[in-house]
Amino acid sequence: MTELLAGQSWQDLLARQSFIELDALGRAGALLDLGSLRVLAGPFDRLESPWLEPQGITPQADDGTVVARGTVDGCPVVVAAIEQGFLGGGTGEVSGAKISQALLLAAADSRAGTPTAAVILFETGGVRLQEANLGLNAVAEICSAVLDVRPHAPVIGVVAGTVGSFGGMSIAAGLCTRLIVTPQARIGLNGPAVIEQEGGIDEFDSRDHTLIWAVDGGGQRYATGLADALVPDDSNLLRGAVTDAIHAGVLEPGRHRSERLDVLASRLAVYDPANTPSPSNLPALWGGAYEPVPASVESAAVQAAVQATDPPTTRGRTWMRALSGSATVEPIIPSVLSATTGDARYLAVVPDPANRLYRAREGQVGLTESLALAQAVRGLVEADKEAEHKRAIVAIVDLPSQAYGRYEEMAGLHQAMAATTDAYHAARVAGHPVAAVVVGTALSGGFLTHGLQANQILALDDPGVEIHAMHQAAAARITLRTVDELNELAKTIIPMSYDVEDWAKLGFCDGLLTVANADDPTHEDVETVRAAIEDAVQRARVGPRDLSNRLDSDVAVTTREASRRVRDVLAQQWNPVT
Amino acid sequence: MQTLTYRFPAREAATHSIHVGVVASGDLEILLEPPTPGDDDGVVVRVRTSVNGFDTVWHDVLERFFTRTPLAGRWELNDFGATPGVVNLRLRQASEAATS
Repeated sequence: MTELLAGQSWQDLLARQSFIELDALGRAGALLDLGSLRVLAGPFDRLESPWLEPQGITPQADDGTVVARGTVDGCPVVVAAIEQGFLGGGTGEVSGAKISQALLLAAADSRAGTPTAAVILFETGGVRLQEANLGLNAVAEICSAVLDVRPHAPVIGVVAGTVGSFGGMSIAAGLCTRLIVTPQARIGLNGPAVIEQEGGIDEFDSRDHTLIWAVDGGGQRYATGLADALVPDDSNLLRGAVTDAIHAGVLEPGRHRSERLDVLASRLAVYDPANTPSPSNLPALWGGAYEPVPASVESAAVQAAVQATDPPTTRGRTWMRALSGSATVEPIIPSVLSATTGDARYLAVVPDPANRLYRAREGQVGLTESLALAQAVRGLVEADKEAEHKRAIVAIVDLPSQAYGRYEEMAGLHQAMAATTDAYHAARVAGHPVAAVVVGTALSGGFLTHGLQANQILALDDPGVEIHAMHQAAAARITLRTVDELNELAKTIIPMSYDVEDWAKLGFCDGLLTVANADDPTHEDVETVRAAIEDAVQRARVGPRDLSNRLDSDVAVTTREASRRVRDVLAQQWNPVT
Repeated sequence: MQTLTYRFPAREAATHSIHVGVVASGDLEILLEPPTPGDDDGVVVRVRTSVNGFDTVWHDVLERFFTRTPLAGRWELNDFGATPGVVNLRLRQASEAATS
C-alpha cells in the first residue's frame, strides 16, 4: 500500500483533496486557476452521440468529455477531460471530435502567437466499440492534433486513474510533451482482459492486480522513463505538477519520447522474451531516464537469434511485391518489408513465424515492427529533407491487429506505436504524400499505427478486406452481445459494420478499388491499384497536410454530421463573447 | 433503453439552467432548463433509462418529488440504472442549484 503514498505521509493522504474521486468537470476545474474555467460544447449544446440511442444505450449530453478553457498560473490552457464513468471513457465520434477539434484550435492560436497549452486527462478503455470505426478514426485524428500542437505549445497528459489509459488513446498519451501519472494510474495499449482473451491466462492473468500494476502501473511507467512525473492522488499536488509542466514549455524538436528512436532501438536490443524479463528488473535494465541503453552481450545474443525461415504467402507480401514493381523488396526486419522506387517507399508488416516476440508472429504490429516502420519513414524524410519533391510513402495494410502480449505491454507497446504514429505524421506534415492501401485486414491499433495517419486511404472492395476496431468475436464479448446481434446492429449502425463498403461511407475512404483476385492479383488488378495510388498521391500533393479532408469529404458531410457540428460549435465558442 | 415522459403541476419556475450528474453506472445526469414562453407552465420530465420496465417506479419517485418541489421547467434525465435514492438526491441537487 505504501506505493500509493508516493512520498506522502498518511496524515497528508488523509487530509488531501482527492483528484481521482472527482468527475471530469471537477478534475478540469481542479487544475485551472480558480474562476477561470469556461466549458465549451457543454451539455446544453446537446452534442450527444447519434449512435447510442439506436442501440438502446443511454447517451450523455456532453458525450462524456468535458472541454474547458481557462488559465493555469495565468497561462491560456484548454483542458479535455474524459469522464471515466460514462461507458468506460471510451472514445466515440463526438467525444473524440471534441478532443481533436479543441487541440486544433489550440494549435491555431499557438501558431498565431498566443501559445495555448493543452491538458488531456486520459481515463479511457480505448475506442468505444459501439462506434467502432468512427472511434478508431477519432483516435487517429486526436494523435494527429496532439502532434500539430506540440511544436508550438506543450501538450500535457495526465493519467490519474482509476480506469487509466488503454487502447489507441495511449498512443496519444505517448505523444504528449510530458506525461503525469499517479500510482493508481495504468497505461497500456492492450488491457489485461483483452490480452487474456486473445492469448490465454498464461499470457496475462487479468485477475492478478499485482501483476497488472507491475506492468501498466503509474509507478512502473515512471520508473522506466515512460512518464515524467509520479504524483500522489492529491488535487493540489497534481495542479502543481501540471503548472510546472506547462511552465517548462515545448521541447526541442527530436527530444520527445516518441521521436527518440535511438532509445527505443537500444531498449529493444536488450529485451528478449526468451530471457523472461520481469517488470521488477526493467528499471535496472533500461534506467529511469528515457536515454539510450548501452549495448550488452545480451543484445548481441538477441540479434544472433534472428533466423531466416520460409515466410508464408499473405496478401500483404503479395501486393507488396506486385506494387513495388522492379524495386527490390527488402526486409528491414523479417516482419517489416520495404521497397523504395524512384518516387515512393512501400512498407508492409507481414508474418514472421520466427519472431522472437512471439505474440507478433502472425503479422501483428508489435514492438520491433513499430520501430522498423518508424525508422523507415524517418529515413525517407531525412533523405528527402532538402528535396523540393518529396517521395511518397505507401503503407500496404494487411494485419490482424497489434500484438496482444504481456511482454509487449511491459515494454510499453503504446510508446513504440507512438513513435510510428509520430513518424508518419512528420512525413505527412513535411510534404510527403502518405497513402494507405488496405488489401486485407486492418484492425485496431495495428491500423492506427500503420495506415490511419495517411493523407489518403484506399481499400480493395473485396470480402477479405476488413477494417475495424476489434475482431468480431472479441467485440461481441466485450459489448455483451452475440455475433448475430452485432451483425444485425451493423445493418443500421454503419460504423460497427465489418463490410468494407460500409466503411467506405464513413468519410475517410479515398477510393474503393474493384479487383478480380485480391489473393493472387492479375496484371489488370495491379495496374488498377497502381493507378489509384498514383491518383491518391497526386491528390495528397495538392490537398491539406492535416486530416481535415476526412471531415470535408462528400460522404463525411452526411455520415460525420455530428463531428462537423462539434467542429463548428467549438470554433464558435472558442473565444468568449465580448 | 426506454424513454418515458411525465408531466406534473408546478408553482414556481427554475430561474436558470442546471446540469448535474454523470451517466455512470448507478447514476444519472439531469439537465434542467427554465420553461420558455409557449411551454406549458408545469413540470415536463423526459426520462431515458437503460433499464426497461420501471415506468411505475419512475412515476412514483417523480410524483413524490415534484409534489414537494413543484419546480416548473424542462427536466431531462439520462439514467444508467440509478436507484430511487440516487434519483432523489440528483433531483434535489438540481432543484436547489436552479433556484439559488
